[in-house]
Amino acid sequence: MISTFRDILTRAKAAGEKKRAAMAVPVPRQLKMLEAAVQAGLITPVLVGDAKKLEDLCKGTTLAASDCRIVHEPDPAQALVRAIALVKNGEADILLQGGTDHQVLIDGVSDAAAGLMNGRLMSFVSVFELLQRDKLILVTDTYIQNQPTLAEKQWILENALRLAALLEIQRPKVAVLAAIEQVNPGIPSTLDAAILAKMADRRQFGDIVLEGPLDIDCALDRKAAARKGVNSEVTGNVDIYLAPEMDTGYSLAQLLVYIGKMQMAGVLMGTCSPVVLDLPFVSPENKVIEIALATLMAGQGGQHP
Amino acid sequence: MIRTLDDVSRFAQEKGPKRLAVLAPEDAEFMLAVKKAWEATYIEPVLIGDPEKIKRVAAEAAFDIEGIELISETDRQAVANLGTAMLFTGEVDMAGKGQIPTAYIYRAIIREEAKAGTGRTISVVSLWEIPERKSFTAFTDTGVNIRPDLKAKVEVVKNAVFVFHVLGYSRSRIAVLSGKREIGGSPASFKDAAALRKMADAGDFGECEIIAATSFTEIFSGTAGAPQNATQIDISRLPEILLVPNLDTGNILCKLDFFLPVHRRSLVMTSGGPFIIPSRSDFCDSILGEIAMGVVVADRMKEGEKR
Repeated sequence: MISTFRDILTRAKAAGEKKRAAMAVPVPRQLKMLEAAVQAGLITPVLVGDAKKLEDLCKGTTLAASDCRIVHEPDPAQALVRAIALVKNGEADILLQGGTDHQVLIDGVSDAAAGLMNGRLMSFVSVFELLQRDKLILVTDTYIQNQPTLAEKQWILENALRLAALLEIQRPKVAVLAAIEQVNPGIPSTLDAAILAKMADRRQFGDIVLEGPLDIDCALDRKAAARKGVNSEVTGNVDIYLAPEMDTGYSLAQLLVYIGKMQMAGVLMGTCSPVVLDLPFVSPENKVIEIALATLMAGQGGQHP
Repeated sequence: MIRTLDDVSRFAQEKGPKRLAVLAPEDAEFMLAVKKAWEATYIEPVLIGDPEKIKRVAAEAAFDIEGIELISETDRQAVANLGTAMLFTGEVDMAGKGQIPTAYIYRAIIREEAKAGTGRTISVVSLWEIPERKSFTAFTDTGVNIRPDLKAKVEVVKNAVFVFHVLGYSRSRIAVLSGKREIGGSPASFKDAAALRKMADAGDFGECEIIAATSFTEIFSGTAGAPQNATQIDISRLPEILLVPNLDTGNILCKLDFFLPVHRRSLVMTSGGPFIIPSRSDFCDSILGEIAMGVVVADRMKEGEKR
């Protein structure tokens, strides 16, 4: 099982072959992360943008002497299109977000014709290192879907399960979070959670154990759950936390990073090739972990998790 | 100014005992907290509920309730109504929920507020003590309004500002949390944030400030940009009040005390006084702490603090 960020890195390095990572118009603050990823033997960058500017950017960095490839495309908007095309036609394995605006990148990736979707829903999983338990926990969706419907939550869950499989989490335990652990028709998140729980009982998601609705105290603490009459192997030992919507997911991930002092690496799921976003609350070291995860996913061909 | 839970305990000891209506104390963990609060002279309890059950859990908690006022009432809505009425008439200084569904309590409070003509929306304020931060930060509303509209959020802000005012914070800073980020447009929670900010600037909430940040990343972002991890944050940038967009968010965030090294104290502010509404999963120490917090708030309200 992969239980720490170090394990992820080790596994990715052991995978051997370096992956080609396309990146449109990188910006200076991203160089350190690129250098680290190259030095770790994870990737060969394929930088797309104005060739002269890119050469200047790389000058004086370890990238200049590496097998880093430069693709000349002076127009920044076209550079993104080109970078996505490189991944789509197999000339690159991974797409890294460069200096492109987040929304523009997501729009490009989700473009029906030229993008990298394969009929799945896009969602974002925050992977946290839970050192005291020697395990990784997954929180989702923490970046993409504003107000997912039940059907969309199903996709979000399945995306998270694919990542859990990649991380070799056996029989993942899932908590579908809501304000309370009781099903309350007045609180829509509890209804969605209850339905997902029933679907899981019917083994519609395979070999997993899912509880929902669970409030966070029941999810985190088995004794607290028992006091509320919730007895389950999920309580106090959750692998995947499913947030009810973005207001919650986005705040939750950041609160765990800043107040919880936890290490986080994010993974965009639902695309046909790995795409690594550049979120502000991820440290350069953890961005390397994100790239490592992407290389592991890229190893799985078109059916990458 | 009350900055830490130590301040709260000290103050509760100093200003107690306050009369606490204890509604349906039928769980040993809860009764133990009442006992400890009584021993610490925070409170003079008035137990209301099923006498059989109360006597049984009192025995379990080794709490000799001989000489403690006990009002016999087995109907749970009646227990809620009675205790709440006592709070609003001033017969007690504060009230606390035992083993009654929270909805019954809210119903009773809403009725009393209507009777008193205050027009108040009730909300739960969940205060956090974060070790390295020497003042409280509260999440609100963490317990009542499922999807508060702008009008309800206005009341939620006013309630929270009042709690901080009572605790001695002359000017609280407020952040309106939202899932607004680089993608996904402008969610409803973000539109409300803009509207609330305008009202705060116009002075609608009294002495307080709603800051522009709507996420933790923005709250902690300084001139050097967004901090990339916890070692880079200046915890003092965290505002006193974090207005959450909905009940799911509020409840999920505030109860992370089961996991993080923080302490949570939740209370409902009513015009009659503080109402302690522990989570059904809270343990004795946390409930005791909430009672102490209630004592502090009740005392300040008796001193004439009004919202």
